Amino acid sequence: MLETLAQAVINGLLIGGIYALVSIGVTLIFGVVKIVNFAQGEFVMIGMYISFFLATQFGIDPLVSLVVSMPVLFVAGMLIQHFLIRRVLGPNDMPQIFLTFALSLLLLNLSLMLFTANYRTVHTWYSDEALHFGGLYIPVAKLIAFVVAMGLSALLWVFLHTTDLGKAMRAASQNRDVAMLMGINPNRVFAVAFGTALALAGAAGSLLMPFYSAYPFVGQVFVLMAFVAVVMGTLGNVMGALIASLMMGVAESLGIQFVGADSGLIVVFALLLLTLAFRPSGLGAQRGR
Amino acid sequence: MTGDRKPSAINNVAPAKASRTKLNRRKFLIRTGGIMAAGAFGAVPLRGWAADPVNIGALYPTTGSMAQIGVGCVAAAKLAADMVNEAGGIKSLGGAKLNIIVSDVQSDTTVTRTETDRLISGNKLSAIHGCYASALTLIASEVCERARIPIITGSSSDQLNKGRTYTFTPFARASQFAKAQLQMAKLVSEQPKVAVIFENTAFGTSTSNGLKELAPGEGVEIVMFEPYSAGFTDASPLINKVKASGANTLFSLSYLNDLILIVRTVRQVGLNIAINGGSGGFVMPDFYKNVGKAAEGLQGVAHWNHDVSDEAQKVNVEFKKRTGEFAFEYAGGLVAQTFMLADALERAASTDPKKVREALSTLDVSSGYAAMAPGGKVKFGPDGKNVYGKPVGVQWQNTDLVSVFPKEDARAPLMKT
Repeated sequence: MLETLAQAVINGLLIGGIYALVSIGVTLIFGVVKIVNFAQGEFVMIGMYISFFLATQFGIDPLVSLVVSMPVLFVAGMLIQHFLIRRVLGPNDMPQIFLTFALSLLLLNLSLMLFTANYRTVHTWYSDEALHFGGLYIPVAKLIAFVVAMGLSALLWVFLHTTDLGKAMRAASQNRDVAMLMGINPNRVFAVAFGTALALAGAAGSLLMPFYSAYPFVGQVFVLMAFVAVVMGTLGNVMGALIASLMMGVAESLGIQFVGADSGLIVVFALLLLTLAFRPSGLGAQRGR
Repeated sequence: MTGDRKPSAINNVAPAKASRTKLNRRKFLIRTGGIMAAGAFGAVPLRGWAADPVNIGALYPTTGSMAQIGVGCVAAAKLAADMVNEAGGIKSLGGAKLNIIVSDVQSDTTVTRTETDRLISGNKLSAIHGCYASALTLIASEVCERARIPIITGSSSDQLNKGRTYTFTPFARASQFAKAQLQMAKLVSEQPKVAVIFENTAFGTSTSNGLKELAPGEGVEIVMFEPYSAGFTDASPLINKVKASGANTLFSLSYLNDLILIVRTVRQVGLNIAINGGSGGFVMPDFYKNVGKAAEGLQGVAHWNHDVSDEAQKVNVEFKKRTGEFAFEYAGGLVAQTFMLADALERAASTDPKKVREALSTLDVSSGYAAMAPGGKVKFGPDGKNVYGKPVGVQWQNTDLVSVFPKEDARAPLMKT
């Protein structure tokens, strides 16, 4: 029993690491640019296809292809922010919602057309390997993904807290108007934030590839959890999203284990409702602000 | 507002559009006329043989989510027609050649209905085969019934045998698959303890209930019976549960992506359990490509396999030459079906669909390509079901899908993993 419980927690934490990469991206964009990016899942999908094609065409390990998928999506994010998002920023939210939603539909259908609906997997030497400790096991591919995901989150945290650009982003996130009055160039900050968020989605895609199949709808699977984590961890709060993602991974895993395999999400949403009932602004909300 | 800076688009577009239409009307007519003419020609079968060819409609999804298998089916349909034609065509019709007219049903039930109608009304057909996916075949067979054109299909839904007189199903029915799966479990262990995990959809629920009903009669104990939500991110919690149940056999009623995750996770956990993945995506060449070595020893059930007879092996070699993959169940079954049609046409000595239906209903073969099915015999009952139809149990062994069950059809012993 204890072993089953421990294993369920390990499983939850490992998948929570992937949720974290997606939700940090969503929360970063929301915090800084103040829009909800409905297409975040589709960028995870693009990251997966980049890794898939690098692996099958050139034999590059999906983890190594991080160095391609992240920069490619970073640049794509800057361009999308500059040419599309920037034009719809304004007092009215509707165009922004429609824009990112349209982007999601466009990317989804484009990939259906280009890549077909087939499942694509990459098989690496560590795909089916696991470390065993007594009765417990940790799949190697997921462990690597978790460690890299946590490393990237830590890097982002350092970037946000020590560099001028990072501080400017946090400032814009806390109060955009005052930040602009202090001489922060919003366009530059927004572009970097959007690019960083997409790079994280690309990283999630590359990290998923050794143990998950790529297909056009794959983003939808992960983006739901990301949105729940963003709300639970307080909109715009990177650390909150990270912690909430890990909690949700564990909640889902425990739900499947002890409630039923088709009710893992029930536990997740129950947790969300409880959080909203007792801390309406989410786990990451600072008191007295 | 940025919009104010630009000249209004509306003012510019209207006149430009009008003048363009005027200038290019002739060009427009020439082009669209050309396209329409090309479309019309495409639908008319090419002629040039001595005897009038026999038109066979082929309804398959060659685009959309089911396209991959659909495209393989079309390749098999063409291979089968070539085989019949090279052997001299239909002799009682003066050596008439089979002419396959392919129609894409786009993996969609609505399109299937209109395409079947269009195919029938636009061509003089003697028979139709298709659509591989039961959901689509159910609709196509309905249209065929009304138009009185015989349809022969490898689809396994039992519903296809209810209230239809123009539908012929030469292979095992869905209800027979569950029984075969349970009997295979007894080959692996004297006391099979089965964990049944199924996605909570119509497919998963109905198939799993079939298993549950039959299990006691077959002497199989079900120790875990668990629905899960299809399209999960992680199979680990589910497999953790299977492990805790103490099962020695796992039946996974899942579509390809979930099944890939489940198989990989079982291997990672190091769980020593026999897995039976049923039919569908599991018995396709793609499954091995996706799962790799972890697929070794996995069991499934199929309505046809490329080693069921010497003829099947020959078809397999030819199919491999053309497509690079081994002949999967629908492809091989389709070649057999084409030969059943050829046999019926030969005896009917007519291209009239009603006479072809009559000849099909009295079909009785036990040798040659037409009898290339598990059991080796085909004879249709009044419900269009092959009275000898039965599934074959298969297992992935050394990158190949091998028949292992029942004993009389087995080409290799079952590997106990």
